Amino acid sequence: MDAFSNLMMGFSVAMLPQHLMLALAGSILGTLIGVLPGIGPAAGTAMLIPLTFSMGPTGAIILLTALFYGTQYGGTITSVLLNVPGEAASAITCLDGYAMAKQGRAGVALSIAAIGSFIGGTFATMCLVVAAGPLTRLALQFGPVEFFTLVLLGISLLMGLAGKSMIKALMMGVFGLLLAMIGMDPVRGQTRFTFGTMELMDGIGFVPVIMGLFGVGEILLNAEKPFTQMVLAKMSSLIPTRQDVRDSVGPIARGSLIGTLLGLVPGMTNSASSFLSYIAERKCSSHPERFGTGMLAGVAGPETANNAHANGALIPLFTLGIPASPTVAIIMGAFMMHGLIPGPLLFRDHPTVAWGVIASFYIGNVMLLVLNLPLIGIWVKLLKVPYGILSAIILSFTVLGAYSVNNSVFDVLVMTLFGLLGYLLKKMDFPLAPAVLTLILGPMMERSLRTSLEMSQGSFGIFLESPVAVVFLVMTVLVLIAPSFAFFRQKKQSLTAEEDLL
Amino acid sequence: MQRIQQIAAVCFIALSGYVIVASIRMEYYTKLGPGPGFFPFWLGLIMGGLSIAWLIQLARLSGKSKDSAFLPEKKGGYQILSILLALSATAVMDVIGFQLTMFLFMIFLLRVVGRTSLWTTLIIALVSSVGVFHLFGRYLDVQLPASSLKMLAAFGL
Repeated sequence: MDAFSNLMMGFSVAMLPQHLMLALAGSILGTLIGVLPGIGPAAGTAMLIPLTFSMGPTGAIILLTALFYGTQYGGTITSVLLNVPGEAASAITCLDGYAMAKQGRAGVALSIAAIGSFIGGTFATMCLVVAAGPLTRLALQFGPVEFFTLVLLGISLLMGLAGKSMIKALMMGVFGLLLAMIGMDPVRGQTRFTFGTMELMDGIGFVPVIMGLFGVGEILLNAEKPFTQMVLAKMSSLIPTRQDVRDSVGPIARGSLIGTLLGLVPGMTNSASSFLSYIAERKCSSHPERFGTGMLAGVAGPETANNAHANGALIPLFTLGIPASPTVAIIMGAFMMHGLIPGPLLFRDHPTVAWGVIASFYIGNVMLLVLNLPLIGIWVKLLKVPYGILSAIILSFTVLGAYSVNNSVFDVLVMTLFGLLGYLLKKMDFPLAPAVLTLILGPMMERSLRTSLEMSQGSFGIFLESPVAVVFLVMTVLVLIAPSFAFFRQKKQSLTAEEDLL
Repeated sequence: MQRIQQIAAVCFIALSGYVIVASIRMEYYTKLGPGPGFFPFWLGLIMGGLSIAWLIQLARLSGKSKDSAFLPEKKGGYQILSILLALSATAVMDVIGFQLTMFLFMIFLLRVVGRTSLWTTLIIALVSSVGVFHLFGRYLDVQLPASSLKMLAAFGL
């Protein structure tokens, strides 16, 4: 079957009433999480996983992916109306979005952002449809040697791009791998680092760890800051003028391309996509000096880019089985909890799940476009709820989420411990994304390394026998040594410095 | 901040030391290939090397960079401790049940940490304890624990 017939088959699955309801629920919950301060897509997705246990795999993944790209829509609302980004990726939107709101053009900023997000998300999904066939055919030829080197490259890219310090990123990557070593050895079944605890025999659960690091950790960080009451900008007409539409065409097209391409790179955050799109718009504009004063291009480009990035980041997961960001890694974990392994085999063995979920991306993006603008009033009202109440509710859901994975209080305590650890590590500027990615990929990485070495009777030379593996290894080395060169160091520093400012 | 980072680096070195020692006690290599101790041994070694490199980097930066405070102010510290205490206290969930645990948890967070009014606190605490218990159990198929104490179980808690 060609991509188009597969997609049509996917639509027949995604259009089932229960799947439409789940896409709708995921989109609304995602927007809510995007709007609320103190909870991001990673913690939100992890929190929802236990609720999906009673669902079929297709429905569960539709819900979780809709939540993931829904958060990108939600983050825009607070950036424009409050000058406070709901998500890091929407931070750059504050510059021109809030300025537009002060000029009485908040409605136009929000509607153009929603249209751009829809186009960006749809464009990235189209790329996934086109790339699925060739990439999965390539990936099906991968053995443990190629898989190990591919994972190594993915992790190196993430560590090379995450945070300001390469040493700290590498430490976090190794820390995640060490956490993944807890429990049964994946090849011989021997227990490791369990301290004689029964609860650790199956390994440390990634849901409590992620909810601790990203959910509880964030709330602890906010708890030490004095809470300031937010001042909302007034809403205006949502209908853009013909000139507004004309001004947005270029930024939306460029944002779609930038977001999709950067989404493919593990470790590239969607805030980097938004930021690069903003720079591109400033460079392309005949009035770069006006950026920051309410330029529509400064909203349309970045907002399109972050949504294209969110959908683009799902391409390596679906085709190669490699997650490009912590939230995508959590979605990968959810796949595995439902007995599926994302990657080329998913298209071969479970085509209805793979194509059903992909088709749901189109539907979810349409739902977000249609629903978001009329619901803005509700999101704005939610923002008036005091943070003390919001944080208590979020914490109660983290407890509920951590407990219901295994019906175990032990997991709640693990979450609390990792909450404290996440708080301390964030205060010391450690990037947490590498730890999450390696925690989830660790067992697969170890299994493929050991299988490769068993095949070669212990010789590491096997990694130099496959041309594909050699290419991946050379790229890994380049990524790891790149920061030693002044040009790359300056580029990365300027990017992280700008992200810090946001 | 500098001192705290140095302590953290030492903690990471201690962790890597423990991992290396524990890995050596496992099988490093078997007839078929690498054993269970192989991967953690190398990870421990890499972690140790990175932690030492970080410690050296911190020593070289000492005095050169602007040092910021690590510990939160008194009020913030009190809030953080209260949240951690409340989360740890949910360990009694299997004994007193989800509903009572979550009710007390929410009352504590809303009144002590969030300084919310009494009526708002009671309503939110009831919804997120009794309400969530029934909603999740009946409609979402997520079974939450009832109390193992007969006296509380008799009240449906």
